[in-house]
Amino acid sequence: MTTLAGADAVATTPTLRAAARRSRFWVLAGVGALLVAIAATLLAGAGSSGGTPLAADNAAPAGARALVEVLRQQGVRVTTADSLDEARTIAAASTDPTLFFSDPNGYLTNDRISAMAALAPRTVVVSPDFLLLQTLTPAVGFGGVADSLDGPGDRCDLPAAIRAGGVAPGGKTLSLPADSAEIGCFPSGRNSFAVVGATLPSTELTLVADGAIFSNDEITASGHAALALGLLGPSADLIWYLPTLTDVAVTGPPSLGELTPGWVTPSILLLAVVFLAAAVWQGRRLGPLVAENLPVTVRASETMEGRARLYARSNARLRALDSLRVATVQRLATRVGLSRLASLDDVVLAVSALTGRAPAEVRFVLVDGVPATDRDLIAQSDLLQDLERAVIAASGLPADPPASAPPTATTPGRMDP
Amino acid sequence: MTVSGRFTLLIALGVVPIVLLGRSQAAAGGILALWLLLSVGLGLLDLALAGSPRAVRLERRLPARVRLGETVTSLLYVTNSGSRRLRALVRDAWQPSAGAGNNRTPLSVPTGERRLVSLPLTPFRRGERRVDRVTIRSYGPLGLWARQATLEAPGRIRVLPPFNARKHLPSRITRLKELDGRTSVLVRGQGTEFDSLREYVRGDDVRSIDWRATARHNDVVVRTWRPERDRRVVIVIDTGRTSAARIDNETRLDTAFEAALLLAALASKAGDRVDMVAFDRRVRGRVQGAQGAELLSRMVDTLAVIDPELLEMDWAGVPAQVRAITSQRALVVLLTSIDAAGASTGLLAVLPQLTRRHTVVVASVTDPTTVQATHERADREQVYRAAAAERALLDVARVAAAIRQQGADVVTGPPADLPPRLADHYLALKLAGRL
Repeated sequence: MTTLAGADAVATTPTLRAAARRSRFWVLAGVGALLVAIAATLLAGAGSSGGTPLAADNAAPAGARALVEVLRQQGVRVTTADSLDEARTIAAASTDPTLFFSDPNGYLTNDRISAMAALAPRTVVVSPDFLLLQTLTPAVGFGGVADSLDGPGDRCDLPAAIRAGGVAPGGKTLSLPADSAEIGCFPSGRNSFAVVGATLPSTELTLVADGAIFSNDEITASGHAALALGLLGPSADLIWYLPTLTDVAVTGPPSLGELTPGWVTPSILLLAVVFLAAAVWQGRRLGPLVAENLPVTVRASETMEGRARLYARSNARLRALDSLRVATVQRLATRVGLSRLASLDDVVLAVSALTGRAPAEVRFVLVDGVPATDRDLIAQSDLLQDLERAVIAASGLPADPPASAPPTATTPGRMDP
Repeated sequence: MTVSGRFTLLIALGVVPIVLLGRSQAAAGGILALWLLLSVGLGLLDLALAGSPRAVRLERRLPARVRLGETVTSLLYVTNSGSRRLRALVRDAWQPSAGAGNNRTPLSVPTGERRLVSLPLTPFRRGERRVDRVTIRSYGPLGLWARQATLEAPGRIRVLPPFNARKHLPSRITRLKELDGRTSVLVRGQGTEFDSLREYVRGDDVRSIDWRATARHNDVVVRTWRPERDRRVVIVIDTGRTSAARIDNETRLDTAFEAALLLAALASKAGDRVDMVAFDRRVRGRVQGAQGAELLSRMVDTLAVIDPELLEMDWAGVPAQVRAITSQRALVVLLTSIDAAGASTGLLAVLPQLTRRHTVVVASVTDPTTVQATHERADREQVYRAAAAERALLDVARVAAAIRQQGADVVTGPPADLPPRLADHYLALKLAGRL
């Protein structure tokens, strides 16, 4: 009997407070590592070149904040628009707006491009894409990248371009047919120009082939600043319109999210919480596992099986048959009344006499037969068993002597079998 | 700390208000948040009202011993010394082989009261079975959240060898009494000594009539005989590497224990003094100088905790062990295994030292599957298997012959037969007066 009465039992589970104290270092270390990681991300993010290209509030190299700030200082009211509807609202509110437009992702369809071109009396389009050129100025094509650019040139009738004097080479250009009505400035080679002007029924359109001219990075190079301010600053209102995904027309059937009732998403969340609770409910162990030392146990017949497989793998037919024969001979010797150590010839003669078989035949079974194949081996083994059965039958004794025959002083403990 | 299935169900039930009242996604989301808040709030309240699983006094009552295969009851008294009612699930963490079955008991203990957790134990392995800890999971009144603590509550129970061979004991004792003069069938031989004279009754062997005594009395008097008494029997059990082998779902060591117990019971009935030592490289257990009922109880107690060791048996140390027990002539029974000749050189080397002074019997278990394998010769694999089995049996026969040549006796048998065969051999030796 074991009694532990008197005091409360000693608990091996730490209390909440003790567990908190023990893990305090790691919790603090984890929080510290998290803070360092957040700080590092913030610091690294400030200098990165991310953000939307040519966005009015983007201070990264690809942004256009520098230009917008200068325009604002010059008294131009710059209003940003993310969608056509927004731009339309702003345009309706202002008297004589200028529209800045850049759509490198090609969000607008040709209907909307036409609508865009009708918003303001002056429109500046930066890096026009194929669809825009097709819709507004079908005569204008792409002119490739210019290695060198000349001055304004003789087809230039844009005051802003003439004042700017030149732009840095290396950007895209647009091509004009030789006899077209459009204005081309800063020619490169024969018919490609960095800036193209066209008069549409609805607006004065200026196409600037390369958007990099307006970016924070390059606005100070060559005559970029003069060109940009000249193009964008003639009126008091500037609409800075960069299309976003909201401009993409919604087509096709309503999505799955629109069809599902409002309770589906919260129910899925609830199921996740239920799963979590069930995991805790089923996963929490009722105390630690109990260890137990188990003794070593080996099957005793393993060595016998192993030897049998060795015989089989190396095809040791004769060796295997010898084992069978020696054992049989010893059993036969005791069966016919000879000693276990009787000579083989005596055993052969005695067995032959008892069973009536020819001595040569008995000798073949017990000694002489050499198995050449596995089939032979099985046949020889069967012959041995036949012979043993014949001797048992002839000697008239039971097949197995009583196993529990008590040993006497004269006959010491018999081996089994 | 943990949660219950009831808490999981409570959260899952939140789907009802969400589906019924959540017209829009925002409304449904709000209901979800409220429901979770309610559930967790109830859980925290429940946790705060749960009785402390640490404010518990534990008291154990265990029987010291149990025979392998029998069932005992382990009693654990749980006293709630805390200030709140304890609604708990109690796990009494017995080792797996203690056979406790389902060891989780639900329990409700009011403050200051005591409840009993009783657990039936049916150990399925010999030796010392232990329990170190009790884990208590205390639920709150709502049964949502629970506190949990593991408490120390050590206990142990000794599982004794089953001694299944005791069923052979009555028949052997009958045979012993036949040797003794107490039965009418008088068996007289070399190993008997004169006991007393008594009156002739019909049926007695006329050859045992003592004519001189008959002449002195007016009645026919016969001599009675009894076997020699007060001989020494020393049982040496090999607990080394080879005793770990499993034959017929029983290790060699367990069979050796059965044989040793049967022999000890019989020999102590016959008036001989039995000593036992379990040995491999050092003594694992020793029983010396015990008599009668005490002998058997001490033997099972000692043998209970002995397991096979992965060591080679140190046969050179055995004669010294026997010498330490007795200097008289004794029957030395070596319970070991006879395998290949190479593995038995140690045994063969020390046998002459033992046989010079004592009568030595080497008892070993044979594997019935090996004998069975010699008869199955249907295909190629089986013929090779039969050949390997015959080779193993020949090896055993060679070692046995060598042992006999050294002057010792050999007793072998499959696990079920070895104990009675050893007992029979003992009776035969006693009859022959070779003790």
